[in-house]
Amino acid sequence: MIPLLEFLFASFTLPFLAALINEINKKYANRVFHNLGLCICVFDIAEAGEGKVRYGDGFLWYTVVFRLTVFRPFPSEVILAKVKSSDEDGIQLSVGFFEDMWIPLVYLPQPCAFDPNERAYFWLPSSEATSTHYELLDSPVAERLYIDQGEIVRVRVEKDEFWEDEPGPPKATDGVLISGDARGVPYKVTCSIGEQGLGPTTWWKDAGTRMDEG
Amino acid sequence: MEILNSRAALLSNYEVLQLLKELEADHIARTRTAQRLKKEEEDAAAATGLPPPPIPDPLLAISENLRTIEVEAIQYLTADYQPTRVQTAQGVERLTKNLAPFGLTKAEKLQVVNLIPVEPVELYVIVEELEDRLRNCMEEVLNIVRSSIAPLTPSSSSALALLPLTAQPPLEIVEETPSGGKNDGVGIEDDLDVEDDE
Repeated sequence: MIPLLEFLFASFTLPFLAALINEINKKYANRVFHNLGLCICVFDIAEAGEGKVRYGDGFLWYTVVFRLTVFRPFPSEVILAKVKSSDEDGIQLSVGFFEDMWIPLVYLPQPCAFDPNERAYFWLPSSEATSTHYELLDSPVAERLYIDQGEIVRVRVEKDEFWEDEPGPPKATDGVLISGDARGVPYKVTCSIGEQGLGPTTWWKDAGTRMDEG
Repeated sequence: MEILNSRAALLSNYEVLQLLKELEADHIARTRTAQRLKKEEEDAAAATGLPPPPIPDPLLAISENLRTIEVEAIQYLTADYQPTRVQTAQGVERLTKNLAPFGLTKAEKLQVVNLIPVEPVELYVIVEELEDRLRNCMEEVLNIVRSSIAPLTPSSSSALALLPLTAQPPLEIVEETPSGGKNDGVGIEDDLDVEDDE
């Protein structure tokens, strides 16, 4: 939630506060704000100045201080998400309203391998961490713990990155030309499932009793 | 535009859900009023034989973006795997108050409220260095968490505690339907019952 200063015009058909909230929502809802997160909606309005008519248009302009509800899980926060897809680079997650969340290979539980037939990763808790990729793929299917598409996973947020698309011609960094159409993701969350207790929630359903015994 | 404070407070899933539900209820009420007004105008126009005057549609003022994120976020927050469905405002309040003596950080308490850990392994994920900090209080914390969620009807809990396997399949089916948030989701409550009784 963030207070901000903002000018906006009022819709004359609505009550004053509703009109303000409406305009702010229109401007920020479902948008990524740089270094802030994904804006959801107005939480409340702290103060609003007097409406002024400026030269050149018939709008009323207000200075408003308000708080926004923002989706931005902090690093080390644990959240629930759904597996959207898996490929050789990692797993993409989704929370429904936001899908730019990834688990890279390094944050998967070890030893782990990608099964190209199932298009899913699997974890082999019984094997040794040093097993090679081929040894893992030769393992009996019954021992594998798959992370299937659509499965609910408990993930830890490792870091978040913001990327601002800059206009203008492609720039050269260190003499290497960066292609102009390599568009970044405005807000990207990197997650991990490498720890005990993380990963598909079904893995840990009865884990409490199992751990006590072990 | 200027940002005064980039993190004024942390909101739990439950609070965000309440906020969005208010927004949704407001939207539904407004849609109804708009439809009623339109109908009245049309009836009046039909009676006089004149074309209905154009009235500003209050729904046009609502942004598509807001509706999209509102609906999608409500779907996520009310999904069967989220504990928000068994939480109540009093329950959450009681939970945070009862957790005070254990010296958890704000962020850890937030996650406890969001995830409702009922098993030790779930608490391990949330609280750093759990063993040193909580020592023997872990069971106590878990009991506080368990008592904070809505009491479930005794008849269903006693019946289903005996049949944990039959309670399992509906849960899995519900989880895989994309529209799972709209189901009545008996599965998850049953499942929580089972965990409660262990």
